[in-house]
Amino acid sequence: MQNETIESLVSQHTEELYKRAYYKTSSINVAEDLVQETFLAAVEKKLTFKGESSPKTWLFSILNNKIIDFYRKKSKQHVKLEGDLLSNFFDETGTWKNEKRPKDWYEDEEHLLDNSDFLQTLKNCMSKLPEKWNSCINLKFLSEKKSKEICQEIGISPTNFWQILHRAKLKLRECIENNWINN
Amino acid sequence: MKRIFHKLFFSCQKVTELIEKKKCFKLSLSENVRLAIHKMACSACSKFEKQSLFIEECIINSCKKSDPETDIEELKRRIIIQIDDNNKK
Repeated sequence: MQNETIESLVSQHTEELYKRAYYKTSSINVAEDLVQETFLAAVEKKLTFKGESSPKTWLFSILNNKIIDFYRKKSKQHVKLEGDLLSNFFDETGTWKNEKRPKDWYEDEEHLLDNSDFLQTLKNCMSKLPEKWNSCINLKFLSEKKSKEICQEIGISPTNFWQILHRAKLKLRECIENNWINN
Repeated sequence: MKRIFHKLFFSCQKVTELIEKKKCFKLSLSENVRLAIHKMACSACSKFEKQSLFIEECIINSCKKSDPETDIEELKRRIIIQIDDNNKK
């Protein structure tokens, strides 16, 4: 590693690091920032790099920690909900309110997976959710990690974690149904 | 009648919670059985589950496909500039 300059590392590894950061955060700006922060941290830590792993592995581990920090900050966000979200969907007995009952999505699901308009609808609906909820969704479904590990890393209790996913799914499903199926 | 059903096999609200909880943590045998019976009897919750799973597939799929458009060379240049700036400080 001592033989490799930082410029050489930037040249070799930026693209891979960026792709990983983007996959994990779905945001171009955030991914670019995280990659930049990774290299800046690498410059500071260069002297402590013992060469036990390859430079690439080392850079990726710095990036992974940056990603965890990113989500940890997002998880501290306090989400203000208008009223009790659940009572929007369910009556006092816990049954679906009539107008909120899931409808049939008759479209062939295989086609929808590739339908760019549908995916845009999904993206739009996700952008309407609080950032904290989006973070939890990204972490859960785009991560190989188990939920327990995710919770520990970002400092959310397991109960809080699946409650967020529950609320997010309810809103997301409804938004998609209203914007896609009903149009 | 509905009350009895809810007491035995959970309310719809509880069922939607358990559908999500199940993806993160193990449910008890009793919870799993009661969940299954509720879904058999309740088309709304059964649709919810199907659509919830489908949404997850879409999220995973769209992320794999999306082209993270960015000018990598420009990013590399910016990073080098930032490192040089920091060194000068």
